[in-house]
Amino acid sequence: MSRYEVNVLLYRLKKDQAFRARFRDDPRGALAAAELTEEEREAFIRWDSRRLNELGGSLHLLISIPGLSGY
Amino acid sequence: MGKVVYAAAMSHVLYPDYYGKNVGPHGRRMVEELIAVVRDMGRDMLAARPDALVVIADDHLNVFSFDAIPAMCVRIGRSVQRMVQDDAIEFDRALDGLPERYPLHEDLANRVLEQGMEAGFDFAASWSAPLDHAFLSPVSTLCGAEPVPPLVPFWVNCFIAPQPTARRCFAAGRHIARVVAEGPWRVAVIATGGLSHFPGLSLARVGTSDTAFDRRLVSLMEAGDHEPLCALTMKDLDESGSHEFLNWMVLVGAVSPARARVRFFGEMGRIDLAALEWALP
Repeated sequence: MSRYEVNVLLYRLKKDQAFRARFRDDPRGALAAAELTEEEREAFIRWDSRRLNELGGSLHLLISIPGLSGY
Repeated sequence: MGKVVYAAAMSHVLYPDYYGKNVGPHGRRMVEELIAVVRDMGRDMLAARPDALVVIADDHLNVFSFDAIPAMCVRIGRSVQRMVQDDAIEFDRALDGLPERYPLHEDLANRVLEQGMEAGFDFAASWSAPLDHAFLSPVSTLCGAEPVPPLVPFWVNCFIAPQPTARRCFAAGRHIARVVAEGPWRVAVIATGGLSHFPGLSLARVGTSDTAFDRRLVSLMEAGDHEPLCALTMKDLDESGSHEFLNWMVLVGAVSPARARVRFFGEMGRIDLAALEWALP
């Protein structure tokens, strides 16, 4: 269970403009060092916000990341 | 001897564009009606000539991160900044155009913190946390063009489990009331947030609210019947989407046994908007 890691990444996507841009350009590369399960990683890469929420991702982060908040 | 001279609670996204985008014209109209009511409440608040304004609200992972989430936190220092979010979206944009810095009531904040520690409340303290919409949207609406009284921002962890209990929040409010009573100041206290929205903090349930649950909360506050409110569990609040009622519980503790008067209640679908005032002795 890496709910902490999921939320740390969501927080970083909200607060760190450069990381957000890197994630948009190359999500798999941006997440290379993150300690995620394969399911979590794929949910990020597909930007499946519902799945990320089901995996423990904070609703408030998921709906407030600039450019990625659609749901 | 100090006194709580005004007490109210209200929803805190007072931003028509947010509801216009996410709900439509019906949502925009309803929040505009609420804003008019809150502006009117602000005139009452300022007429009470408060020396300080205690604002009890929650963080939305804007200020605190998963590195550490305080159950309750007092903002100390001399002034506080508005949160800045690059490319802000939706409710974060409610802060656009507001002043960048607000005065704090340093003496009252220090007393709430220090006497709280002596009384057994392990409050966190922050010297640098900025304020997001949960604080500044209601404060700016209440005060309009008038100067904002020196603030005492008080955070409650409403969203990240494990949260403080409703009873503990009530007790923290009793503590604030004691500190105010022992001091020399006239103090306004507001709590913000809610009511029901985002049940279960589930993205799949965004757009729904539990109005029956909220109407029960409001009835209990109108009756001054606070024990059933203290007995609320986090499961009750999570299932209903009334997480931010924990903020209101601090206020209820601060004014108990006073009864509330409903100034606004609106069932939008996505959220139940509300504004209540308390009749103080």
